[in-house]
Amino acid sequence: MAEIKQEPMSKKKLEYVRRERTKEMRQQVVSFGLMIFFTFIAFGMVAMDIDASFVIPVVIGLAFVQVILQFFYFMHMKDKGHEFAKLFMMTGMFFALSFIVTFIYIVWIGSPI
Amino acid sequence: MAHMEYNVPSERWPAHPETATMEGKNKFVGFWIFLAGETALFASLFATYLALKDSVPSDDHLLAADLFALPLAFVMTMFLLTSSLTSVYAVYHMRNNNFAKMQLWLGITVLLGLGFLALEIYEFIEYTHLGHTFRSSAFGSAFYFLLGTHGFHVVIGLVWITLLIIRNAKRGLSVYTAAKVNTAALYWHFIDVVWVFIFTIVYLLGVL
Repeated sequence: MAEIKQEPMSKKKLEYVRRERTKEMRQQVVSFGLMIFFTFIAFGMVAMDIDASFVIPVVIGLAFVQVILQFFYFMHMKDKGHEFAKLFMMTGMFFALSFIVTFIYIVWIGSPI
Repeated sequence: MAHMEYNVPSERWPAHPETATMEGKNKFVGFWIFLAGETALFASLFATYLALKDSVPSDDHLLAADLFALPLAFVMTMFLLTSSLTSVYAVYHMRNNNFAKMQLWLGITVLLGLGFLALEIYEFIEYTHLGHTFRSSAFGSAFYFLLGTHGFHVVIGLVWITLLIIRNAKRGLSVYTAAKVNTAALYWHFIDVVWVFIFTIVYLLGVL
């Protein structure tokens, strides 16, 4: 069951921890603003009928930036102690990418082996 | 005693309450392994969708460009993105040992999630009326399986967070309940991560 091995913090330490949290919250609000901004750009570009060969890579790129913000700031991956989390996610993404490349290759590009 | 450490004062509240216990640490690592597995699951569904998105049996079946409405997808995205921020607020207050505000922001997260879910159900009903169903084409199957699996995750997330709010209402905040809240928040963020790819690959590239 839950036990805390935490010594009582001094007032100074407590204030420091709180200040750090507020700083982190500010970063998170900024990354939320960026995500909203990227979403607007992505939808705007598609709605404006710009050339598809330009829009597709940009929109997918914006999605990846959003996801990185989500992982590192919202899910705290930037903090220390997330080495395993990063390793697992990299493994997951490796499989993800290979699935998608394989399917697109088999169905749309490659000839049957 | 099991409930001895509940409602600790802020000076004894650890900087990272969610991983202050062995149980919390295990949950944290285990949940990231689970999320990596989820990534592979959704990737296989995305791959299927990309492979089958233009496969319809005849010309009178509607395709992505005929079906999707960008404004609806945009509003759904805003709902889910904002709910991701509100769960960040919940975790912030959890770390600051502020139980009442944590509960409040979890509640707002649930409301936004419900809004998203309502729009998705409305969308599916609309498509069904237009003849785009799970069984109408390979495109339909791939679409509903991908979006449905995501929607199912939203339902699980909503039930999970609602149960946490109810279950924790009396017992308050402790390193034991903090780990639970943190895990649910991670799950909710991951649902938003998947949605980012859905609105990009399915909706935006679909209408292009």
